[in-house]
Amino acid sequence: MVIGLILAMIAGALVSLQNIFNTKVNQHTGSWSTTTLVLGMGFIASLVMGLIFEGADMFTLRHMELWYWFSGIIGVGVVICLVQATKLLGATYAISIVLTAQLGTALLWDSLGWLGLEKVPFTWNQLIGVLVIVGGILVFKLGGGNGTDEEPAKNAKPKQRKALQAK
Amino acid sequence: MRGIIFAILAGACITLQGVANARISQDIGTWQAATVTQFTGFILALVILLFARDGRKQGFKEVKPLYLFGGAFAAIIIFSEVTAIQNIGVTLSISALLIAQLFLTFVIDSRGWFGVIKQKMRLPQFIGIGLMIAGVIILKL
Repeated sequence: MVIGLILAMIAGALVSLQNIFNTKVNQHTGSWSTTTLVLGMGFIASLVMGLIFEGADMFTLRHMELWYWFSGIIGVGVVICLVQATKLLGATYAISIVLTAQLGTALLWDSLGWLGLEKVPFTWNQLIGVLVIVGGILVFKLGGGNGTDEEPAKNAKPKQRKALQAK
Repeated sequence: MRGIIFAILAGACITLQGVANARISQDIGTWQAATVTQFTGFILALVILLFARDGRKQGFKEVKPLYLFGGAFAAIIIFSEVTAIQNIGVTLSISALLIAQLFLTFVIDSRGWFGVIKQKMRLPQFIGIGLMIAGVIILKL
């Protein structure tokens, strides 16, 4: 249980770093150039880690099913939806909804046990817990103070402002 | 309205990605699952890039080299997320993941690390993180 929590938090911290790095790349290139690079890097890194830990076993894909090959498409779907949502809603609102939808889908998945994952029976505690977390996300993102992305140029120091306008 | 639908789909797909990886890992192993899904995603993105031709290739040279390797984190992200989902379920995994993600972003923004524009953190951000942690505790009651 504790190990699971720690691993999930490591993943979250790295997602945060990755988002910042990817944003930097995106500012100089474009969203498809960035996506291609990011997935390519992820592929190489996963392959190398796999070779280190599993050796030649990496290439014996037992019980491979056809749809496994296509699951990578989901990642591309994420990019398309994120780019559109951010364009239409602005980053703050888009991200608030994205995070909420992530949690909602997670609860749904646990309760229904789709794709043969172990079912975690639905309890009211879980629903209340998720709603409190969503409340936290909304307060965090929409509560003001953290003047994210909307008008970075306005709040930036003159030198930074110049850099932002150049982008 | 379209924006909201796109945002909901994006969030659902992010979770679905984790779940699909967890499922595929059961059969072929976690590193294998990470490699296969990143590979097919990469190929598809490359094809789209060839058609969309967005952005500038020279742009890559302007980026600080370190930032080009952000994608490599995916190997550890997928491994950790999959192992977490298999151990503690999807809801708890995603909750803990999001708290760590928002918290680190919050620290980086308030310190201005990696050259991000420094942002003042006020009460709402602290209350928000507090609520999220309270929510996880309720999940486990």
